[in-house]
Amino acid sequence: MKKFSELSTRLKIAKKKANKNSFTNNRKNTSSLGAALKLSTEMVAAVFVGSIIGFILDNWFDSKPWLTIIFFFAGAVAGILNVIRSAKLMQKNND
Amino acid sequence: MSTNPMHQFNVYRIGPEISLGNVDISFTNASLFMVISAFTIISVFFIGTKRKAIIPTKIQLLTELSYTLVSKMISDTAGSKAKPYFPFVFSLFMFVLFCNMLGMLPYSFTVTSHIIVTFALAAIIFIGVTIIGFVNHGVRYLKLFIPSGVPLFLLPLIVVIEIISYLSRPVSLSVRLFANMMAGHTMLKVFGGFVISLGVIGGWLPLSFTVALTGLEILIAFLQAYVFAILTCIYLNDALNLNH
Repeated sequence: MKKFSELSTRLKIAKKKANKNSFTNNRKNTSSLGAALKLSTEMVAAVFVGSIIGFILDNWFDSKPWLTIIFFFAGAVAGILNVIRSAKLMQKNND
Repeated sequence: MSTNPMHQFNVYRIGPEISLGNVDISFTNASLFMVISAFTIISVFFIGTKRKAIIPTKIQLLTELSYTLVSKMISDTAGSKAKPYFPFVFSLFMFVLFCNMLGMLPYSFTVTSHIIVTFALAAIIFIGVTIIGFVNHGVRYLKLFIPSGVPLFLLPLIVVIEIISYLSRPVSLSVRLFANMMAGHTMLKVFGGFVISLGVIGGWLPLSFTVALTGLEILIAFLQAYVFAILTCIYLNDALNLNH
């Protein structure tokens, strides 16, 4: 029985340590690299999707360059919005 | 051996040619590695959960750690409502992780370095999340495209931008995974080619680069699987809790 109580106190101490250290450390390291990889594609994808939608609508309405141009910029705006949103999310997670 | 760095991404047929109508559905090396990774996952988890010892063996520890990782990720990002989707997110994470990691072995094939594979996975997530959103919230799910506190005359513009932003999710999800895997493997191959062409005297520098890059690639392989799963959780959170 003595051994068990000893083990449980040691477990408690280990748990406290684990909660304190490894958690904060680990998270910051991996998430900062992940953030860098994440934000870059977020922007590109929105511009790409916007242009594709514009191109399809152009073919549909027979208004060749105009809708593509408009939706390209709308896509750029959406991309910036995406980047800001995910950056905000990261900030919230880090706090 | 070919020195073309893109040669490693070739998909070729293994065994007989099978076609369904006009579609070629033959068994390729890509399908072989998908089967291998699925089989590896199943066997690892079968062995890991067979003996439930108090003091876990290494393989049991691996399975338990991966379970806690994913379950914590879901409850942190999507809340308790997302618990029923644990099996989906878990198998997605494991599949991407094992595909990435098996691709790190020499002479193997990286399934996730093909955009069609990652895009198919992302499309499944995108369609599934949209359906879940509409089932849970009905027409109110469309509120996702109308942020609160926007003046009326800006609304048409904002709605278009929000729709583009929503549609760009599967693209960014798939392109991120595909681009990271393909760029990393190409870079490894290019530096490997430098080792050969510079010979015994000059080849040491690119060789050390290759070693360092291999470590980085293993980190990225894990990280990309993690990001893929965590973004699935974030999208699930939007569909379940609707708090934009």
